[in-house]
Amino acid sequence: MQPLRIALAQLAPQLGLLDANFARHHELLVEARAAGAGLIVYPELGLTGYHLQDLAAEVAMRADDPRLLALAAETVGCSAVVSFVEESTDHRLFIAAALLEDGGVRHVHRKLYLPTYGLFDERRFFAAGDALRAVPSRLGLGVGLAICEDFWHLHVPAVLALDGAQILVNVASSPGRDVAAVNAGGLGTAVSWRTLLRTYAQLTTSVVVFCNRVGVDESVSFWGGSMVLGPSGDVIAEGPLYDEALVLADVPVADVRRERIGLPLLRDERPELLVRELGRIVAERAGLAEDGTATPSSR
Amino acid sequence: MQPPGMQPPGDPGAALFELPAELAIDTGIARRVLAAFIRAQLRQAGFERAVLGLSGGIDSALVAFLVAEAIGADRLLCVLMPYRDSSPASRADAEHVVLRLGCPSELVEITPIVDGYFGDAGVPGAGGVEALEASALRRGNAMARARMLVLYDRSVTWRGLVVGTGNKTETLIGYTTLFGDSACAFNPIGDLYKSQVRQLSATVGVPEAIIRKAPSADLWPGQTDEAEAGFSYPQLDRLLYWMIDKRRNDEELAAMGFEPAMVDRIGQMVATSEFKRQVPPVAKLGPRTPGVDYLYPRRRPGSARR
Repeated sequence: MQPLRIALAQLAPQLGLLDANFARHHELLVEARAAGAGLIVYPELGLTGYHLQDLAAEVAMRADDPRLLALAAETVGCSAVVSFVEESTDHRLFIAAALLEDGGVRHVHRKLYLPTYGLFDERRFFAAGDALRAVPSRLGLGVGLAICEDFWHLHVPAVLALDGAQILVNVASSPGRDVAAVNAGGLGTAVSWRTLLRTYAQLTTSVVVFCNRVGVDESVSFWGGSMVLGPSGDVIAEGPLYDEALVLADVPVADVRRERIGLPLLRDERPELLVRELGRIVAERAGLAEDGTATPSSR
Repeated sequence: MQPPGMQPPGDPGAALFELPAELAIDTGIARRVLAAFIRAQLRQAGFERAVLGLSGGIDSALVAFLVAEAIGADRLLCVLMPYRDSSPASRADAEHVVLRLGCPSELVEITPIVDGYFGDAGVPGAGGVEALEASALRRGNAMARARMLVLYDRSVTWRGLVVGTGNKTETLIGYTTLFGDSACAFNPIGDLYKSQVRQLSATVGVPEAIIRKAPSADLWPGQTDEAEAGFSYPQLDRLLYWMIDKRRNDEELAAMGFEPAMVDRIGQMVATSEFKRQVPPVAKLGPRTPGVDYLYPRRRPGSARR
């Protein structure tokens, strides 16, 4: 299998300016294709900017919006992941990421976990997605999409890998915070993300792609640091902190097979066990079954 | 990156100030973030220039250096606004910063504005006879607001945004004047404690004399913040860090060695000044109320300035 060249478009979207952001996406698509990229990944809400608040409804589009289709039309012979505010037919607004391939929209993932704590207020403005699916891709590999906070929930990469993903793509608008000097690399957020991305690559024996935006929305600065990791957790390419960049990574996709043969973690997964125990926990939480969990207070 | 509690040899900050280990920041990252933040705030608002009040103290000096680093000194206007009994040393320090940066500056005496209200030498001003006896606190607040008035007027003539210079310590304990020194278009150092302001100042080139001297609101001759409050900034910063950032309760703070009386007093100052950190509430009557359920980013499409 030929190595796959992945391009990470670590850009700074302009808040609420759809036309300018679409234009930038087109430019970078051309640039990435000229550089030989087979997969181009843009950050979360790259087409709209992050801190939208009530602007969300004004920049929302349907998954078949002509502007999105025009961008998709440029993906003949390549794949791209773009992110925008999706409005459903029943007028719910989602933070969405779409896999565009061979001229069309191949798959849309709606953000499952909307952080509404600390500096985040997403649930106020958006609906949460309900589906988590890996999809086959023209790349010859299964692709699993996730958006930022989705990766702070362990089962997301696990389910995507079980569902056939060999590449996990997380698009993010992660605000940098905690500049305490004790952090390796100087930024607490970056340390946390690198740790979990590496862990996911190793535990799912998958390629992990992380594209995080840069730039400033209101108080927060997005830290970039986009990266591509191989299925053994090795960092193949890493973008700069805080600066715009088109980061190129050559991924030896044959490594996925090699890793999974040598380290058959996925083979040994026990989804039926997981479903059984989760079913029990859900029933207990709903009061439909006696709580058999040993907690200090229940003894 | 520096390990906590240590100053690498040759660090210009060594021995200049006390830096509690848990408060040490990566100044390289902080500078990059702040430079980009300053540029973004101006660009998104449609401005290319900035204006700030330079007091001679460390906070405004640091912000001046940061803004100059971000956009160039020629696009920063520093306004020196002494009152007649302001410390001449402060003014000299401010002039030193201007000289060091090579930025445009202006001297605007606020004495006629303040005295025009409170009166002078027994002659009442616009505030009437009673105002002749105004406390130092009232006068200090009026001075801060007079400076705000000047800065927002210069903001128009200079065509630049007013940059805030308040630090996190004074913001949290409410040691600010509402609509005075806290008034600004944006603030680059509002999430830095005083100790961190000192650490960052030492790396951007703020003159040593300014870093070393005792912080003062200069409300009366010889006043210092620390003498007035009764504790040092490193002590106060550490307490606020554990109390606010790390959510430790009174019991936990006591177990860490913080004096319960100080914890009480600071906790009360923080609680009492909550209103100073928030936009005033608007009475909810209509379907959509600014600040309540009409929520937009400050800079957005449709703005005439874009």
